[in-house]
Amino acid sequence: MNRTVLLVGIVISAVLVGILSVGLGKNPNEIRSPLIGKPAPSFALKEVGTGRTVDVADFKGKPVVVNFWATWCGPCWEEHPVLVANARMMQPNVQFLGVVFQDTEEKILSFLQQRGSAYPTVVDEKGKTAIAYGVGGVPETFFIDRNGVIVAKYNGPMNADAIRAHLDKVMR
Amino acid sequence: MILATLLLMLQLKVPDAAQFVGAPQGRPLAGQELLLRTDQVGSLLRCPVCQGMSVADSRAEMAVNMKGQVRELLERGYTEEQILQYFELSYGQFVLLKPKFEGVTSMVWLLPAIALLLGAAIVYFTLRKLSKAPPAPVAPQPEDEYMARVRDLVSGEKS
Amino acid sequence: MIASLGRILILASLLASAAGALIGFYAGRTRSAEGLQWARRFAYFYALLIIGATMLMVYALLAHDFSVSYVAQVGSRAIPTWVTIVSLWSSLEGSILFWGFVLGAYIAAATFFTRGQYAEYQPDAIGVWLACAAFFSFLIAGPANPFLTVPNPPLDGPGPNPLLQNHILMAIHPPFLYLGYVGMTIPFGFACAALIKGRLGHGILKPLRESLMLPWIFLSLAIMLGGWWAYEVLGWGGYWAWDPVENASLLPWLTATAALHSIMVVERRGILKGWTITLVQASFLLVLLGTFMTRSGVFNSVHSFTQSAIGPTILGFLGVSLVFSVALLAFRIDKLESEGNIEGAASREAMFLVNNLLFVLLTFTVLIGTVFPLVVEAVNGKQMSVGRPYFDSMVVPIGAALLFILGVGPALPWGRASREQVKKALLPPIAGAVLFAALGYVANIRNGWTLLTLAFGGYAAYVTFAQMFLPMLQRMKRGDGAGTAFVDAQLVRGRRRFASYLVHGAVVICVIAIAVSSTMRQTTELHFTKGQTQQASGHAVTFLGIEERQEPHRLSTIARFSVAREGKEVAVLEPRMNQYQMMREPIGSPDVHTTAGGDYYIALSNIDTAAQTVSITVFASPLVVWIWISVVFMGLSALFGLVPSRRRAAVAVREAMPDATPETA
Repeated sequence: MNRTVLLVGIVISAVLVGILSVGLGKNPNEIRSPLIGKPAPSFALKEVGTGRTVDVADFKGKPVVVNFWATWCGPCWEEHPVLVANARMMQPNVQFLGVVFQDTEEKILSFLQQRGSAYPTVVDEKGKTAIAYGVGGVPETFFIDRNGVIVAKYNGPMNADAIRAHLDKVMR
Repeated sequence: MILATLLLMLQLKVPDAAQFVGAPQGRPLAGQELLLRTDQVGSLLRCPVCQGMSVADSRAEMAVNMKGQVRELLERGYTEEQILQYFELSYGQFVLLKPKFEGVTSMVWLLPAIALLLGAAIVYFTLRKLSKAPPAPVAPQPEDEYMARVRDLVSGEKS
Repeated sequence: MIASLGRILILASLLASAAGALIGFYAGRTRSAEGLQWARRFAYFYALLIIGATMLMVYALLAHDFSVSYVAQVGSRAIPTWVTIVSLWSSLEGSILFWGFVLGAYIAAATFFTRGQYAEYQPDAIGVWLACAAFFSFLIAGPANPFLTVPNPPLDGPGPNPLLQNHILMAIHPPFLYLGYVGMTIPFGFACAALIKGRLGHGILKPLRESLMLPWIFLSLAIMLGGWWAYEVLGWGGYWAWDPVENASLLPWLTATAALHSIMVVERRGILKGWTITLVQASFLLVLLGTFMTRSGVFNSVHSFTQSAIGPTILGFLGVSLVFSVALLAFRIDKLESEGNIEGAASREAMFLVNNLLFVLLTFTVLIGTVFPLVVEAVNGKQMSVGRPYFDSMVVPIGAALLFILGVGPALPWGRASREQVKKALLPPIAGAVLFAALGYVANIRNGWTLLTLAFGGYAAYVTFAQMFLPMLQRMKRGDGAGTAFVDAQLVRGRRRFASYLVHGAVVICVIAIAVSSTMRQTTELHFTKGQTQQASGHAVTFLGIEERQEPHRLSTIARFSVAREGKEVAVLEPRMNQYQMMREPIGSPDVHTTAGGDYYIALSNIDTAAQTVSITVFASPLVVWIWISVVFMGLSALFGLVPSRRRAAVAVREAMPDATPETA
């Protein structure tokens, strides 16, 4: 019996199968954000419709929920009612803010008029704020605590349970 | 009216690379060199919405935005390290297409090198082993009864 | 009814293959000729059943029988007939059935062509083949069953993924890939049989080599077709992105290529048997790994639409196959005795050994790069990427080294060579190296690696050309005319050798084309308003306008461009954005003008129908078409080499003698 071959073969096989098994449990498309636990990048952007500047620093002292979305994104349509309902419930203790990029003002205004709005929605030209927040796709929602630190990031359309859980986290 | 718009614009701020990586440490680029370097640095960044493509290659809007950001940072004089670090701070190491040479990640660069050395050693020792006198050639196997029976059976096989 | 019949056929195929495998191994142990006969019968029976089941599915698809679950999943009355046929392999369950179909065909062919021969090895080989077949039948019967009955069949179905209807290459690439992948099972069977018997002698080398060569040809073509499809359809101007699934198809190709070369050394010198067997086994195991990678959802890839829940099952089979292969190797490899030796480092045998090392190193590197993100995540939870910059920086040097060996290896003689002989062999081709590098330099190539590739390529071209016609020249020296010498020495007696050199020639062209097309590519980004003309890479591009075309499954927005060179129009290109009903973002489709000198390629970045403006990227890459052409030529040459020539007996005798005359290398 060739000991070298056996040893090398066992090691290679075990390592390979081991790595692949571990990989089976994970979703390669779920990317965790490195900004969790770090201060939220500050920004001041133009609100649709009114044109006034909304600065995220204004909200320091209370938790902020920043939701990146766009009108062409299907899941964003799904989550919009959940966000609006929760905003109505939680404001003014928690500030909600919507950031839209890769979109036009008319489409955003029309969307909000049709589907309701309970919090400011701002436009991020060229997506620079999205880049700073490490936004990969839409929708993505960031939960920022009273001290301006990002405590959680949620990828994908928000649902009632998820938002409740994250709001609890951010209120503490 | 124009004044009001200008004032309004002055109030707008977008998060800036300076917040993340400080002041630019290289020299500002322009023209052909800028375009070339944008492509080069862009090819080191992963488009977050595509499947493994670089920001330089991808046509997705997110990638185009990121490439635009790379170009602007190069124009302002940021170095490649600073730009990569900026994106890494927002997106994580996931966004770097070229693995960093640090910690566990360095193994992806070292393992092939180790394999090369190991392989060279194997070749050397195999050459040495095989250059010694050859063993007696394997005697041809005598045709045995089994093979004869198979041949008989098979010659009746229709195919 | 069709669904139940299908299920019965599949179940029967599972029983037939399982029984046949057991009988085969039993016959191998007891050396029972009867047993072998029965194993062969079961092999044919399995093939009949699985091919029958596949034909049944094709019938169901064409007849739009939506009571069959797979047809309900991918069938549609609205799609053209060719798409209906393509839908057989477009989705998971159908693709596993297709795998079974190809495997059945291969097993039937292999059983047929080994009739009356290799009786020692046949039972075990059939055992291994049918064991693999049983696994796939199990998958089809269980987790990936396409023949489930739909209780209330719908009147129509959704059709296959629209991406698959975009381009004809989508119809050809998968079958070729399967013909390549699945085919690796047959040489795996022979290799295991050789290990079990403890002998890798001339009694088994021919079927081993030929059964490895055929899938290798298909796999080479499949990889090229994949690259060509990516180039024509994806719109980023490139053809290889080191995507995990692309790598998955490359890995078994690398080990199979190494194995094909290694077999030659076993034939000539009776050495490197262990290496060869290991490489053949690795090719099959990497096929299993590849199919796992494509279907499991573990990897982030453009092929993600084929993800499924059968990942763990395939991983299980991969694990079992690994254990089986390692055990066989560990316990039996020492029985494969070397019959010869290597007389010096400057010999062809030694170069084959180095060749093996380089291919294995390349395989290892690509594998490491592909799975590394998983390793890191498992170790410390961080997510990182290994992308093109890594692979390019690793693969280019190793590839250059391989190209170097492709030149030096065939130049060196077999066996011991004096310093004079070595000098005479290695020095003259330098002229080729200098010529090619100089031509490149004159053509404005300044990239170091590309010039080096040209130099090595020129060296290899010289050697390949000189060696290719050596038999013919020797015949002519003995007085024969050029015509007879060519036909007899090259096409009849020396066919295999001639074909190999043709393949090498194709490889040189391919590598040079890849190197030049990637480093000399010019990229220009332009923005047009209607009617505007701009210059890019020596051509004048005029934006003619936007056209919208509504097709049943998609809305195409087409931008028309006129491309002119030196005042004359050479092409009208129509890149487009396709908005499919099923997909969220539109998919861009470029348009390419191909000439022998290079490609002119336009991809859309942005199109504004209202404002009639468009942003494009123009890629001008030289020599791209030669990549596709050379691989096709490579496949055809290898196929030519497989065709047995009339002087078969004489060649077989010569192949059996380890010390053949030096000129017929």
